[in-house]
Amino acid sequence: MLTVTLYIGFAAVIAAMAMNLYRLLAGPTAEDRVLALDTLYINAIALILLVSIQFADRIYFEAALLIAMMGFVGTIALAKYLGRGALMD
Amino acid sequence: MKLLLIVLLPLAGIVLPPVLVRAGRTASAWAAATPTALALVLLAGMAPTVFEGGVVEASWPWMPALGLNLAFFLDGFGLLFAGLILGIGLLIILYARYYLSEDDPMGRFYAMLLAFMGAMLGIVLSDNILLLVVFWELTSISSFLLIGYWRHRADARQGARMALAVTGAGGLCLLAAAILLGHVVGSYQLQAILAAGDTITASPLYLPILGLVLLGAFTKSAQVPFHFWLPHAMAAPTPVSAYLHSATMVKAGVFLIARLYPALSGTEEWFVLVTVIGLATMVFGAYGALFKDDLKGLLAYSTISHLGLITLLFGLNTQAGVIAGVFHIINHATFKASLFMSAGIIDHETGTRDIRKLGGLRHYMPVTMWLAAIAAASMAGVPLFNGFLSKEMFFTEVVVESERLGGIGWLLPVFATIGGLLSAAYSLRFVHDVFFGDETGALPRHPHEPPRYMRVPVEILILICVVVGVVPSLAISTVLATAAGGVLLQAPEPFSLALWHGFNVPLVMSVLALAGAVALYYQRDAAERWHERTFPAFTGKGCFESVLAGAIAASRRLTAWLDDGSVQRNVVLVIGTAVVMAAAGGITGGLDAGSRALTPAPLPAVAVWLMGVIATVVVALRHHDRFLALVATGVVGLLSALTFIYISAPDLALTQLSVEVVSTVLLLLALNVLPKETPHESSPGRRWRDGVLAVAGGGGIAALAYAAMTRPLDSISRYFLETSVPGGGGHNVVNVILVDFRGFDTFGEITVLGIAALCVYALIRDEAHTMASADTEARHPRMLLIGSRVMLPLLAVVTVYVFLRGHNQPGGGFIAGLIAAVAMVTQYMASGVHWTEQRLTGNYFPMIGAGLLTAGFTGLASWLFDVPFLTSTFSHVNWPVVGDFEIASAVAFDLGVFLTVVGSVVLMLSQFGKQQPPVEGR
Amino acid sequence: MSEAITAVFILIGAFFVLVGSLGLLRFPDFFTRLHGPTKATTLGLASLLAAFVAYAAGTESGVTVREFLITFFLFITAPVSAFMLGRSALRRRVDSVAPRPAAIDDDEAEDDPA
Repeated sequence: MLTVTLYIGFAAVIAAMAMNLYRLLAGPTAEDRVLALDTLYINAIALILLVSIQFADRIYFEAALLIAMMGFVGTIALAKYLGRGALMD
Repeated sequence: MKLLLIVLLPLAGIVLPPVLVRAGRTASAWAAATPTALALVLLAGMAPTVFEGGVVEASWPWMPALGLNLAFFLDGFGLLFAGLILGIGLLIILYARYYLSEDDPMGRFYAMLLAFMGAMLGIVLSDNILLLVVFWELTSISSFLLIGYWRHRADARQGARMALAVTGAGGLCLLAAAILLGHVVGSYQLQAILAAGDTITASPLYLPILGLVLLGAFTKSAQVPFHFWLPHAMAAPTPVSAYLHSATMVKAGVFLIARLYPALSGTEEWFVLVTVIGLATMVFGAYGALFKDDLKGLLAYSTISHLGLITLLFGLNTQAGVIAGVFHIINHATFKASLFMSAGIIDHETGTRDIRKLGGLRHYMPVTMWLAAIAAASMAGVPLFNGFLSKEMFFTEVVVESERLGGIGWLLPVFATIGGLLSAAYSLRFVHDVFFGDETGALPRHPHEPPRYMRVPVEILILICVVVGVVPSLAISTVLATAAGGVLLQAPEPFSLALWHGFNVPLVMSVLALAGAVALYYQRDAAERWHERTFPAFTGKGCFESVLAGAIAASRRLTAWLDDGSVQRNVVLVIGTAVVMAAAGGITGGLDAGSRALTPAPLPAVAVWLMGVIATVVVALRHHDRFLALVATGVVGLLSALTFIYISAPDLALTQLSVEVVSTVLLLLALNVLPKETPHESSPGRRWRDGVLAVAGGGGIAALAYAAMTRPLDSISRYFLETSVPGGGGHNVVNVILVDFRGFDTFGEITVLGIAALCVYALIRDEAHTMASADTEARHPRMLLIGSRVMLPLLAVVTVYVFLRGHNQPGGGFIAGLIAAVAMVTQYMASGVHWTEQRLTGNYFPMIGAGLLTAGFTGLASWLFDVPFLTSTFSHVNWPVVGDFEIASAVAFDLGVFLTVVGSVVLMLSQFGKQQPPVEGR
Repeated sequence: MSEAITAVFILIGAFFVLVGSLGLLRFPDFFTRLHGPTKATTLGLASLLAAFVAYAAGTESGVTVREFLITFFLFITAPVSAFMLGRSALRRRVDSVAPRPAAIDDDEAEDDPA
């Protein structure tokens, strides 16, 4: 049962990532692209969680944590750039 | 050990004068004199051994694999030179104390002088020919600094550069010669090379070796046609000229000729090359000196001439010639140094050294007059002074040699006499034009005697001139015999130093020379007119500069041909070359898939890679939209990190993720000052070329990876996996490699990182933007402000966690450093530069320094346990609650890595951040 | 039992992740698109984390604090990034199906005398 649900989960996450990529490349606004990248980061965490369950291994957790952190910092950097131009003022 | 100390004392003393100059100029002079005097005392302690025919040796391995050892030996010849260097050095230090004016930075002068002294001692005491070359180049560099001491003067800078170019080029020739010698003899030990003279002269490489050694020696000793740098080096302060350009450094060339005399001499080639160049230099220099109006210029040309004389004596291949050469080295050092110092006194007290403006100084400085007159008489070869003795020996030798040669051999004594005549004539001019005759009234200052202690060094040298000149056998013959024995590798046959050798040809030559000199001096106006008619302005400097300009133009053309400044072109060349070479290898070596079974590709992974490909293609197609390109590159970075996770490389994934965000921030900072769109520049043809190249390069790499991965592979990974725990005490192989197995590489890399950060700072620093900016909602939205401040402790915890467990599980100092840097940069972005630097720190230099020092000292600590640099140690500890864990010294090293990474990254990013132009919205 | 809970949470998580991204794909303008990811996806991820916790509880390794750390982290950051992006879009006046609120312009003027 778990195997089947995992496959469903993988399919959903991959489909979601593909949609993010489309939005990222299609835009139309720069904010859309940033939002799509941020979502892609979050979906990447989802993918890692599924892999962790599949392989019953926690070693991927640091990566998931770091993706969450770095995704956030990257997003606010991009958003700040869009909003005011100056990143640090 | 004492021998090493002699060289090290002056070098170690470099730091003293610049520090003690704060306590006064005299203190600075004492600081320079103390190590010199100590070294002299040490040398004196060893002198008895050497006089008894012994050789003092000391040797430590330095880079034994290269044959480079810290080997020194002291024989008679080395003793003579070391004594000259230290003895005259002391006098120069005393003299310079009074010569330099209040405005001159005295500490710097003495520091450079000591550096030169140490290097020069290194040359004369080296027992390893590679070590000798190292010291040789050090003298070139310290001489460059000393000539350019008055850096505000253009002539000083030019003279310094010219001296460095000529002697540095000679040094390179000498290095080549040293390597060839080591190749022929099979050892770089100087004493072994000296003992292998027959092997060397019989070797087919003899001529190249001889040519290269002589190029090194002739450039250093300013022999024709490399003489031209010496007159320009007279832009140096006079103590430098007296020390380097009369007594010591220019003697390094003749020292080398003498030192390698047993190894290279005795052949026809040696005789012809050395004698002819020496003779030409002697006559040319003496002739040039006659027409110089600058006191120091006259002395410079005279030095060239006398160096030529010494060279010639060593070229004769006779024992008596060697003795005469060594004798003249001593005599020239004493009288020329005192003449330079006298010229300096005259310059110092009158404000000019132009002979045409000077005159009648005997009324104002009678003591100086006597000193200068005696020194000049010695230079001219007047009896009762030391110069006469070596000149007589020189004349005797050329007469003997001309009889042996027959044929055109008579030219030798004729030219020798002409040289002696010219030498006496310019000596006469030096004394008569300056101290006698009428006052010209053109002096900038009213002349008077110099300070008491400024004259003392001259007096001491003059005393030596006279004592040696009057009672030579008593004063100098033991020293001379010992020194010459060092050159010849055996005690020379007994010789007599006497004033009177009876009526013979040399005496006639001397008389002719002196009488002719007086006659020439009285006809000097006619001679000068003749000179100006016959030799129109042709200078070595002009020649040198045209050669230099040609070389620079040629290298510019070469550079322009290789690199026209187009990055695209460079990338095309690099990748194109790689593709062509790999294709050639594939065609000749065969490129087919291996036999290993393929593992199945899971669908999610394939899907992720497909997305990566799409994002990459879009970046390539739409790179003109810079923001889109940046975001799409971010996708590729994230998907690469996922791939690293999938193939079980968590350390790589963590690094990739952190680097990704750091580079995003960096690129955004750069984008802010760049246009949003890149212009369309490439033609369709170029796009096709680039496309083909990209596909070939990427496809080639893919093919290569496929071929490699389908073959059974036995890489070094197995070794690392097996030795990681027993050797490095860590389960995370990646981290153990970084901090232990390849710790030295890591140390180098963080050093480079720190340097790069400092360079970025130096290039773009600007204090203007650090001012407090209006802390408004528009600039720093409260939501971000609070969100980021809540995150800071969280990030700090993660940093510590990733750092501590790094040795055994994914993580480590580098990744932790990046995370901490990102956390700090987040504060910069959320709260602004001003707020952040008030609370964190705006000064990251101590952090970078502390990191490098921590890493370095951890490495050095290994030495305390007698193991090589950076060997790590670890032990098993058991703490209550925490449990069993390994603690490795590598953690301290990793801390150094951490600090350097944090300091460097934050310094660079915040510095870019401060540069942002104040743009309002977009 | 633990496996069943895991499976249920995976399905819930997968649903929200998909719906969140679908929203990002399909909604008409940026401000509506902002809803999908920042709400649904965060919720989806929380469910997936719950699935992992349920799964780990059933194995001998047990549950650790790290799993909750990610959830906690996302719950703090998601609103901040959504706020920052929305703010930027407002400032730059990107196309919107809803009329622009007048109060924003006053704030702007007050914040930004330049």
